[in-house]
Amino acid sequence: MDMSAFASGLKPLAPEIVLLAAAAAAMFVHLFGGRKGPRKAGWVSLAGMAAAGAALLWAPLSGGEIYAGSLNVDPFAVFIKLVVLLAGALTILLSFRFFGVERYEPGEIYILMPLAMIGMMVSASTVDLISTYVAFELFAIISYILAGLFKKERRSSEAGIKYFFLGTLSSGLMLLGMALVFGLTGETNYGAIARGLATADSHFALAGMILFFSGLFFKAAMVPFHMWAPDVYEGAPTPMTAFLSTAPKAAVFAVLIRVMVVIFAGYTVQWSAILFYLALLTMFWGNLAALTQKNLKRMMAYSSIAHSGYIVIGLAAWGERARAAVLFYLFVYVFMNAAAFGLVLIVRRGQGFGEDVDSLRGLARKAPFTAAAIVIILLSLAGIPPTAGFMGKYFLFLAAVDKGMIVLALAGALNSVISLFYYFRIGRAMFMEDPSAETTLESSLPVGVVLAVSALVCFVLGILPALLSNFAAASVLGL
Amino acid sequence: MTIFGIPILSFITFFPLAGLVLILVLPGRKEKGVKLAANIVAGLEFLATLYLLAGFRGGSGEMQFVERAPWIKSLRVQYLMGIDGISLLLVLLTSLLSFIAILSSWKAVQTRLKEYYIFLLLLEVGMIGVFVSLDLILFYVFWEIVLVPMYFLIGIYGGERRLYAAIKFFLYTLFGSVMMLVGILVLFSRYHTFDWTAMLAMGSILPAALQTWVFLAFFLGFAIKVPMFPFHTWLPDAHVEAPTAGSVILAGVLLKMGTYGFVRFSLPLFPEAARRFVPLVAVLALISIVYGALVSLMQKDMKKLIAYSSVSHMGFVMLGLFALTPLAVKGAVLQMINHGISTGALFLIVGVIYERRHTRLISEFGGLSSRMPVYAAVFLIITMSSIGLPGLNGFIGEFMILMGVFPVNPLWMAIAATGIILGAGYMLWLYQRVMFGKLQNPANESLKDLSLREFAVFLPLVLLAFGIGIFPKPILDVLDKPVEKIIRIVNPEFYEKEAAALSAPAGPGTETAGANKRAAGRSEVR
Repeated sequence: MDMSAFASGLKPLAPEIVLLAAAAAAMFVHLFGGRKGPRKAGWVSLAGMAAAGAALLWAPLSGGEIYAGSLNVDPFAVFIKLVVLLAGALTILLSFRFFGVERYEPGEIYILMPLAMIGMMVSASTVDLISTYVAFELFAIISYILAGLFKKERRSSEAGIKYFFLGTLSSGLMLLGMALVFGLTGETNYGAIARGLATADSHFALAGMILFFSGLFFKAAMVPFHMWAPDVYEGAPTPMTAFLSTAPKAAVFAVLIRVMVVIFAGYTVQWSAILFYLALLTMFWGNLAALTQKNLKRMMAYSSIAHSGYIVIGLAAWGERARAAVLFYLFVYVFMNAAAFGLVLIVRRGQGFGEDVDSLRGLARKAPFTAAAIVIILLSLAGIPPTAGFMGKYFLFLAAVDKGMIVLALAGALNSVISLFYYFRIGRAMFMEDPSAETTLESSLPVGVVLAVSALVCFVLGILPALLSNFAAASVLGL
Repeated sequence: MTIFGIPILSFITFFPLAGLVLILVLPGRKEKGVKLAANIVAGLEFLATLYLLAGFRGGSGEMQFVERAPWIKSLRVQYLMGIDGISLLLVLLTSLLSFIAILSSWKAVQTRLKEYYIFLLLLEVGMIGVFVSLDLILFYVFWEIVLVPMYFLIGIYGGERRLYAAIKFFLYTLFGSVMMLVGILVLFSRYHTFDWTAMLAMGSILPAALQTWVFLAFFLGFAIKVPMFPFHTWLPDAHVEAPTAGSVILAGVLLKMGTYGFVRFSLPLFPEAARRFVPLVAVLALISIVYGALVSLMQKDMKKLIAYSSVSHMGFVMLGLFALTPLAVKGAVLQMINHGISTGALFLIVGVIYERRHTRLISEFGGLSSRMPVYAAVFLIITMSSIGLPGLNGFIGEFMILMGVFPVNPLWMAIAATGIILGAGYMLWLYQRVMFGKLQNPANESLKDLSLREFAVFLPLVLLAFGIGIFPKPILDVLDKPVEKIIRIVNPEFYEKEAAALSAPAGPGTETAGANKRAAGRSEVR
């Protein structure tokens, strides 16, 4: 066998291979690293993600479908992989703080995360039902473990179990949908299925599409498939929540876009209508439910559901401009979300963290720069200029209006007003209320880095969105 | 024109940011340094806008000092700035009132100084940006930037119910602006540009139904800001709870952003819809005028009284704008400036005694004129300016609006005129209760008159009130062409009728010029 040809054939998968190597290395470091083993494993994992990022830039595109029509490493996939890597790296930083304070550091997390990320990254480039399902299950099963790993707390175990049951259900639905589509066409490759569906019975095709999508909607926590999300997001260890509410979504939306555009291109009217209503439901439900939350983590959990709704606007408004808007938003959302959950890690209450909004009281006086960074993040989450969150919403709404979906843009705009109310409960606590005696604010370098980087990204992309939007626009060409 | 090689509009928009950075690096203990830095930056900013005035060509209706650069190329968003006479006046008003607001805070604010001045300077960036932007997205960005510092100013430095007032202000105005954002996006889907000048050049291409909807979306954004009845409920709360400087800026400049939006965007971009909505807007404006005045009469709190008087005065401005005659629109723009001067000064006046007594209840005062003669004089002049006494600025604006409304609908004019009478009622009654009579409350015995700094704060406003009242011609001249340009789009019949009525010898525009002279003449005689 010609090894060099084999090696060059693997090149498009270089980032995933680097991550796999990092996971293996982290495992050994964890085992033999002594008392500080888990933390060292974390560093190895983080370095692995950085290396995978470098590999991502270096590795060539596949230039079409490879491995017997199962993968296509195109610019779109590269963008999603970048988003996943960023989410992972930010999560590791948050984990350092979280597990440091909790004095219980399950080092397995640093091994499992890169493995889950491999699943997400591969799923971004899959163009075949089988490889899609396998990649999905790879990260789904690890996600259940990540949510339930924090054995110190019962609600973490609860989160893991809930996530597992409902996640499995959604996988089953998805599989059923895939089976229908396969049964109709006898193909597993997206393009081949699309050709087969052109002549197939449209009722069965639609049933397959709806089942397939339902599974994906479950994983993206879209209303009404969201009921697991608030509990899981609240119960999982905070950094894992940040991770689970962004990276899997990026993968799910990537698959959703590919399936919509390639397999069900002939059913654009139908899926656009479905997504139209789902976007409305998800935005309103997420934001309205977040209004009444006092627990910061749960509030952010609902907020993250609402943000899925904004992204779905871009899916409903099909077309290249809309897809570029989705990519832009996904990228920005990773930073906003990581910072939002990072917020929870600043405040100490007793042995753990203060998770109430009230525990952030008086932060502006103790740490004005942290508070300023958080204000930028909050503005970005609410979609107020000059922040990247505004630009993201602007691109999404513009795409919707472009397709005549003014209602979606109106609803999105209204939701940004609703969301402001709860986001600025945080602003109010930080700036306008007196510090409470029960909690202490602690500066922490990793969290500080996450907040600073996120605020910078949100601000710079708010002023110069073209830095990213051109890249996003180029990434969706030729899907 | 440039300053230090930076195009002038960009310079005056972003110069306060330099001050912001300077304050940021100053250590917080050096309170005097922080105050000084803020004052110097705001002062220099005002001088820069005067320099802008010096380079402005008055007789032109075109946009001047235009700066154009691509911003988000793929979506045709531009960094596009330019000003005409209308924006020029508002920029000057903004930089003056910002300077005054900052100067007036020297003693009023004692805690968390750094943030305070940072918020004020950030506010100035947003406000100036709003008045100079000609790209709708750029405009929107500045429009929203204004909300954030104002939210914090009210919420941190405000009165007892500040938290409630701050979020109410934020939510209310944000609601209006996001509706406007959707309107902007719909506009883009038809025009394929956000460039205001290009949109004007293309003419109104929106189909009638769509135009109505987009007009309504913009209407919500602007009417909430103005605020018009029934969207005014955020205003009394925000005004009462805001610190003095915040109220000055809020009343003096922020409300003008709404009326500016109408005159800059709503009228010329949606001419048919604007004409169709004239009756509705006029009725709302009249309700604002009378209702605002009646509610003012009933107030026990001075600040609340002035807040409601703003609703009434801004109703005048709206009525003038939607009369769609050059005279009324010019009067309305002038009245925007006048209201900024007189109401800004009124909030400062309340601030002066609030600083001394920490109460604003009218019943706590009485007979102050014996203890504070200079204060009494300033208060009197500003009261008269607010009422519209001939010889002072308020008269010119109100008179022009009434004159301009009369040919459109005499009844509207009559109702609006009752607003002036009511206005005289609540202001004079306020003055009487606070300044005249016997000084009975012992707490007022030791009140000190205006200090030199406080006097310096009022002086430019008093001078302007007299200046505009006696010699308004330069301001009206600057407004002539830009207003004519807008009326030619939104109400072309006006000029057609005029040309027909006057037939050959007299060209268009003479009627307005004559009316100006009459208005100016009357005030000069008195």
